[in-house]
Amino acid sequence: MTQVDVNVFRPDDFDDFWDSTLKRVAKVPLRPSFEYVTERSTDDVAVFDVHYDSWDGVRISGWYAVPREAGPHPALMLVPGYISEPVIPRSWARKGYAAFAVAPRGKLRSNQRFNPGYPGLLVDNIADPNTYAYRGFYVDAVRAVDAVLTRPEVDADRVGVHGSSQGGALTITTAALLPDVVTCGAAGAPYLCGFMDSAKLTHSYPYEEINEYLRDHPDHEQRVAETVGYYDGINFAPNIQAPMLVYIGLEDDVCPPETGFAVHEAMKCEKELLTYERCGHDAGNHWAMEKVEAFLAGHLGVAR
Amino acid sequence: MTVTDSELDEYWNAVDAELAALPARPVRDRIPRRCTADFTGYEVRLTSIGPYRIFGYLSVPTGEGPFPALLTTPRYGSVNNPPHYNDRLRYVTLTIAHRGQRTADSPYAAAYPGLLTDGIADPAGYVYRGIVADCLRAAEYLAALPEVDASRVAVVGDDLALITAARRPVFAALQLTGTLLQRGAEQADADYPAAEFGDHLRAHPGDADAVRRTLAFFDAGRHAAAVTAAARVEIPGVPTTLAERLGAERYTLTRHGQADNDAADAWLAARFGVPAMSRFSRAAS
Repeated sequence: MTQVDVNVFRPDDFDDFWDSTLKRVAKVPLRPSFEYVTERSTDDVAVFDVHYDSWDGVRISGWYAVPREAGPHPALMLVPGYISEPVIPRSWARKGYAAFAVAPRGKLRSNQRFNPGYPGLLVDNIADPNTYAYRGFYVDAVRAVDAVLTRPEVDADRVGVHGSSQGGALTITTAALLPDVVTCGAAGAPYLCGFMDSAKLTHSYPYEEINEYLRDHPDHEQRVAETVGYYDGINFAPNIQAPMLVYIGLEDDVCPPETGFAVHEAMKCEKELLTYERCGHDAGNHWAMEKVEAFLAGHLGVAR
Repeated sequence: MTVTDSELDEYWNAVDAELAALPARPVRDRIPRRCTADFTGYEVRLTSIGPYRIFGYLSVPTGEGPFPALLTTPRYGSVNNPPHYNDRLRYVTLTIAHRGQRTADSPYAAAYPGLLTDGIADPAGYVYRGIVADCLRAAEYLAALPEVDASRVAVVGDDLALITAARRPVFAALQLTGTLLQRGAEQADADYPAAEFGDHLRAHPGDADAVRRTLAFFDAGRHAAAVTAAARVEIPGVPTTLAERLGAERYTLTRHGQADNDAADAWLAARFGVPAMSRFSRAAS
């Protein structure tokens, strides 16, 4: 299992596409709001219901949990999996982070204007890179960083990103799109890497959505490959400057391990890869999380 | 605050009566993109109590049936994936979305967090009363399909699967992966989703007895004796005391996720006489 098993089309204008995307969204006022939520807060953690504006003016939601003790605190961006809703990150706040769990567009609390459904998101407008669903979705994670950095108790020099599966993908894309901001990233079982090969390697969802789409549109394979080239984590990986921890299961039926090797190989930053035999999409979580927590704490200056 | 056996029976008999009074009126639509030479995929809609229209992903293998069948009860969360390709090759599969989940979220859209405590202070109004009814309706529908071998029907999931097996003795096998309602309510310092119980009690401390009473109707241990299916439970997700009550085969999770998945697959496949299949296979394409 090496990167040679994974072939990804990289458009010539990949960097320009994302530069122009970020420039365009920068013109959208962020309009962040942080509303304190009494019933979800505890003696040691304050919880806020967060909203901000993103790509195409879509209002995005998130949960922000922060220690009640005085800051500055490092920010930890928690990016969600494909079918999961963001969990209020109280447990991370208890560890000392200003923790932000973002719900990109299409998630329940961010789907008033954009709701392709699940299954559905992966192939929504996949025939056109300019309107593909993940364009706004990736930007929503970037804008979440902008939102958390408006908080006075957050130390802007310490920003971590962490997630697994789609959260692993968003860890990679966010670190690549904000190379001067993100301090470190921990990506489990990264999804959205090697889309086309993945759909051939597995029949598990979400990649099975691509196989289903191609059953309906058998002549679209080339168009789909061109679109997802703009969104592939393997193409983002070389732009990352922050240290990265990647962990994968060697029998992951959801995000093929070949693609985990490939995205790690494509990173030019300081990096580490953890692999777990007989593990699937859990990505060795039982053993990996202790290392993830140590990695984040070490780079973000949190006592353990 | 305890719930007597007669109160428990009365509560669930009332749910059965409501279901019996409401025809399911199923609508089954073929979905071409989920069809292959080996199986045909459908989306189904059924009426449950309320009345409320619920949703399901149904798939039927190609060939001469009847086939063994697999009901997957909904996970906690807004989304349920359609049945896995490997399962669709071997079983008639039905995965439902209960009221409030995506594809069954009109007129009621569940909140996350929030679902676990929606109406929890009143057993008659607790949202999980309807959710269990949704699972029972799905069991009735699946077991009655002409493509299904009625002697080989399994149910897989958490507390919802156990209660479904207890209330509808149509199952030959039960795979229990956890007990969300029972264990969550017992863990004061739990993380989400079980933390929803603690959040509710912090905001409504006067509800403590009422919450305990409501959850007693959903106590997996109280339902276990009615389960006639052969059971397999995953430890530590399921308490050993519950495993004993079910007379279940116990599987201790290795934490190697694919190994654990393969073991679960092999158990049911052997019981129903179909080949075991791993979801991780380089022959998949």
